[in-house]
Parts: sequence; structure tokens; C-alpha cells
Amino acid sequence: MPDIRQTSFDIIHRLRATKSRADVYAELRAAGEVFGYDAFLIGGLPQTEAEGLLDCAMITGWPDAWSRRYHRQGYLHQDPVIRQIRQTAEPFLWTEAARVHADARGILVMDEARGVGLKDGFCVPFHDLDGREAGVSFGGERLSLSEDERAGLHLVAIYAMSKARAVSAFRGKGGGDPISGLTEREIECLKWSAAGKSAWDTSQILTISARTVEAHLASAARKLNAVNRVQSIAEALRRGIIA
Amino acid sequence: MFKLLSGEAGSEDPGLMDRVYRFRHDFFVEHLKWEACRRPDGRETDAFDTPECYHVVGLDGEEVVSYSRLLPTTQPHLQTHLYPEILKGAPAPSGPRIYEWTRCAVAPGKRESSRGADAVSGPSFTAVAEAAEFLGLEGLLVQTHPILVSRLMTFGWDVEALALPCPYDGSTILPICARLLPETIETHRQIFGLTRSVLDIETVDRSRRIEAPRRRSA
Repeated sequence: MPDIRQTSFDIIHRLRATKSRADVYAELRAAGEVFGYDAFLIGGLPQTEAEGLLDCAMITGWPDAWSRRYHRQGYLHQDPVIRQIRQTAEPFLWTEAARVHADARGILVMDEARGVGLKDGFCVPFHDLDGREAGVSFGGERLSLSEDERAGLHLVAIYAMSKARAVSAFRGKGGGDPISGLTEREIECLKWSAAGKSAWDTSQILTISARTVEAHLASAARKLNAVNRVQSIAEALRRGIIA
Repeated sequence: MFKLLSGEAGSEDPGLMDRVYRFRHDFFVEHLKWEACRRPDGRETDAFDTPECYHVVGLDGEEVVSYSRLLPTTQPHLQTHLYPEILKGAPAPSGPRIYEWTRCAVAPGKRESSRGADAVSGPSFTAVAEAAEFLGLEGLLVQTHPILVSRLMTFGWDVEALALPCPYDGSTILPICARLLPETIETHRQIFGLTRSVLDIETVDRSRRIEAPRRRSA
């Protein structure tokens, strides 16, 4: 059996060389084989009540159906894991967070997560100097980490978060995605479209007209060489432009 | 205002060094409860406070409000002589252009709120980066909580983890080497909204500076 410390450093070495969200996503997907997780999420915590999972996620390897349900139900504000991130700087297991926040709304989220195969997980919290919080969470059907695996995954999470932020900042500076040429607004409309929102819904959220939303989505489709909205979303997800 | 002074220069300003050692005692012993460092005279000093080390001192008027110490790795330092076990046998870089960053502290009273960056922490990190660049250093060894690893990366350091995080004294600790990049200081200034150098380098004995072909930022 390969040395988990060396394997962790190999993963970190490759993570440091990544240049895009898609690269980070692929590395974390592959690392799941080593550590035994099936799904992962890199995200900031909402700073306001109105923000949801899709506003804050930087890179998501969560099951799609779960992401959508989680967003629709506003579970970000009830999830024991999210509440625990706000309280500690030390990594923790989801089961530990569930024990601390064992109220009805917390239990509901954990039960539903178990139902989609996310039985337990490991979360690494981040606290910035300016008070912003973030986390990297790994979940799966059977997650059982030795002490060394836990330390290795902790370090992998730190580098994954740093990379996710670096590629997000790079995208932010250009006001969009430099490779596809999508604007920030077009990406935003795609994100809401992927969350199941109609053009009218999106227009209400972004306080622009439905016609403008349609125009953004049509322009995004052209840039992505897609023939319709479904293909645009699939293509944007595949390229890691939206998470 | 931040002062960079060598241990040697410090001996010429005993008043300032007295306030530095008292600040260290207040922070590490009274605030963080490092009982092993408690001294009857209320001045926290140790065998590593040699003429060859550097003190980065944050001052608000006469009052010491932040502090960091840089130790040469060509001499005994904490990584090699105090807790080599956290490296778990891994090698650590050393040499004339690698120093070890220790005793990092910001006065708790200056960190007014737990949310939002305070007025001292950001500049105190910037001062250490400016000191490292002024001294012609390549990088700094740090033994720290993992939370600082991601912060240092955000601030523009190239951070290499030297070993996996391990439990230490009820918390988690990790040895790293943080290397200066051409953009490190500029990144600090952007993040903390600083327009110019925070370090008053007039106080440094320039003859001690290591001449190195490092690009100086404005």
C-alpha cells in the first residue's frame, strides 16, 4: 500500500500546477479514489440570508440533484456542517457537526444527505482575516479516514481552496471567463438557468428585464457553440465555467 | 509604524527592547498561556534572541502593538532545536537566505472585532514581507496553524508544506516554507489597501543586509 503522506504530497504537487476550475475539479475527483470520498464541494459561506449554495460554491462535485434540492430548500442556512464551520478552525467529521447541531432542521438535512449517498463526510473550515468563512467538504457512502489520511486530506483541502480562489479571482478580474469570452452577466444567467430558474425568474433575481436575460442566454449559447439552453448549461458545466 | 531591527541594534535601544519583551510576555504567556515561557520579571526572552536575529516591531506611538521575530537558519532555530519532530523526518530548507518566522503576535486589544480586518494585523503581515525582501531573503520557515497557510497563500506567498499537519498542544501545527514571489508585497498592499511601505527601514543597520539579486518593488 502506497504511503499516504507521499500520495498526499503528490496530489498537492499536481494541484499547485492546475490552471483552471476544471483542472482542480479533475484532481479532486481523482483524489476521491485515494481517500474514499464520492463527492466534494469548495465554497464560501453566505454573508447574507439571501445568498444560497449556487452563489457561494466555487467548485462543486456534489450530485446535481442534491445541489438543486439543497438550493431550493435553502439548506445552506440549516446544514449542521455549515453551522459548524462558523464555530471552529479545526477540521471535523459531519457526524461530529450533527451531534453539536442536533435540532430538527439539522437532522432533516443530514437524513436527506444520507438518502443521496452522502452518509458521512469530512470538512475543513477556512476563516479569513476579514471575517469571511469558507469550507471544503468531502462526502461519501463509506468515508473512514485514518489519522494520516485525515491530515493528508486536510492539506489537500487547503491547497484546493487556495487554487479555487486563485482561479476565481482571475476570472473575476476579467469580468467573465477569458477562454470562452462569456461575460459575468452571461455566466450569472447560465448559473440561474442551471438552478432551474426561468428567464422571468432570473430577471426578478437580477433585477433586469426578461428580454435581457434571454439575450444574455442567446449570446452565451453562441459563444459556447450550443444550439439550445440545455446544451449551453451542459457545456458550461463541462468546462467548469459554472459549478 | 513598523521598525526592523537586528538583535545587535536592539542592544543599543534597551528601552524599546524592554517594551518588546514585555509585549511578548503579555501576549504569549498572559494571553496564550504559554506557561513554559513565564518569567518572574515579565520579560519573555529565550536563547534564540541573539544579536543575529531580527525583530519586526509594530508601534503605535511608544506602545508595541505587534511583533514578529526572524531567526537565521544558519544557527540553531526552533525547527531544528525545539520541535524537530513536527517535520517527521522531512528535510527543511536552510541557509543564509532562509530565516525562520517566530513569535508572531498582534495586541489583542487592537483586534477590536472578530469580524473584519483590523488596522494592525494586515500591516503587520505586510511588514514581515517587506522585511524579508529588504533583507534579501528567499523565504521564511514557519511552524503554524493550518489556517495561516491559506492566508499566506492569499497574501501572495508561495507556500510549500514540509510535512502533514499534526496535533500539537491541543491544536494543529504544520511546518511550512513561505517563499517571496515578485508580487508578494504588492498583493499584501492591495489586500490591505496600503499605498506604500509600512516598514521604517531607516533604523536598520544596512551593512548587515544580504546582497541578493532580488527585484525591489517600489
